[in-house]
Amino acid sequence: MRDEELDRILGGEEEILPSSGFHASVMEAVHREATAPPPIPFPWKRAWPAFAATALLLVGSPALLVTAGAAGPSVFHELIPAATSVGGPWIALAAAATAGSLLLSRRLADERY
Amino acid sequence: MSHEEDRETVRRVLAGDDSAFGGIVARWQGPLVSLAYRFTRDPGRAEDLAQEAFLRVYRTLGRWREDSAFSTWLFAVAMNLFRSELRRIPPRTVSIEDVGELRDGRSGIPEVDPADRDRAVRTAVYSLPAKYREALIVFYFHRADVAVTAKTLGIPEGTVKARLHRGRELLRRKLAP
Repeated sequence: MRDEELDRILGGEEEILPSSGFHASVMEAVHREATAPPPIPFPWKRAWPAFAATALLLVGSPALLVTAGAAGPSVFHELIPAATSVGGPWIALAAAATAGSLLLSRRLADERY
Repeated sequence: MSHEEDRETVRRVLAGDDSAFGGIVARWQGPLVSLAYRFTRDPGRAEDLAQEAFLRVYRTLGRWREDSAFSTWLFAVAMNLFRSELRRIPPRTVSIEDVGELRDGRSGIPEVDPADRDRAVRTAVYSLPAKYREALIVFYFHRADVAVTAKTLGIPEGTVKARLHRGRELLRRKLAP
């Protein structure tokens, strides 16, 4: 089958017309959308301190560990039990889970809209 | 339909006149439902998809940058939605064997009734892998305009041409007597 013949057949498809109520149905949905309460905005003002603290922790921790390592193994060994006793690993895990879920939800929202 | 008219309507909607969106729906409902129908072959589902596409366009109207025709942007938004929705709930597709039965039962495409032959060709398009099927459907929907097809699909023109070439090749192979 030649290209011209394919072009003729595939290019000659008939258009379909929307049903008579289609326009009204779309506009009703648009109206519902317009009158719906706006989505709750993300509380950036409250979140910024937490983000800043996390960033500081992420940047500061390796530097602290390097400094501790340079100061001697005893300081390094003292830091880990101290961090563990105040729930350091749980805090780090919670921060990572929060950041992960935030990124995931933003990604999903972007994909949808 | 003039681009200026679309631009003016969009500005009115963005300024808060939601009812002006009715003008966009009136102007583009036919093409959008037709495009959705070409993917679904189901008039009801085509309207559902077109309605959802209009809603998405309404929600994201502020993102149209006016550097391309409104219709180009509208079709690209709609195409993204159609893709994800058709991935979620695929339309009824046909297997290569279904096309083969029609072909073999009539002793080869060139000898069959023209209407049956046309139907066989269109049916064969649905047995193609998605990327070739999309390229062929959108290309013929846009009256063989490669540039607009590329913008609608969000891929380079060269890729569109390659997919059209490969898609036609696969079609010919399926329909060969």
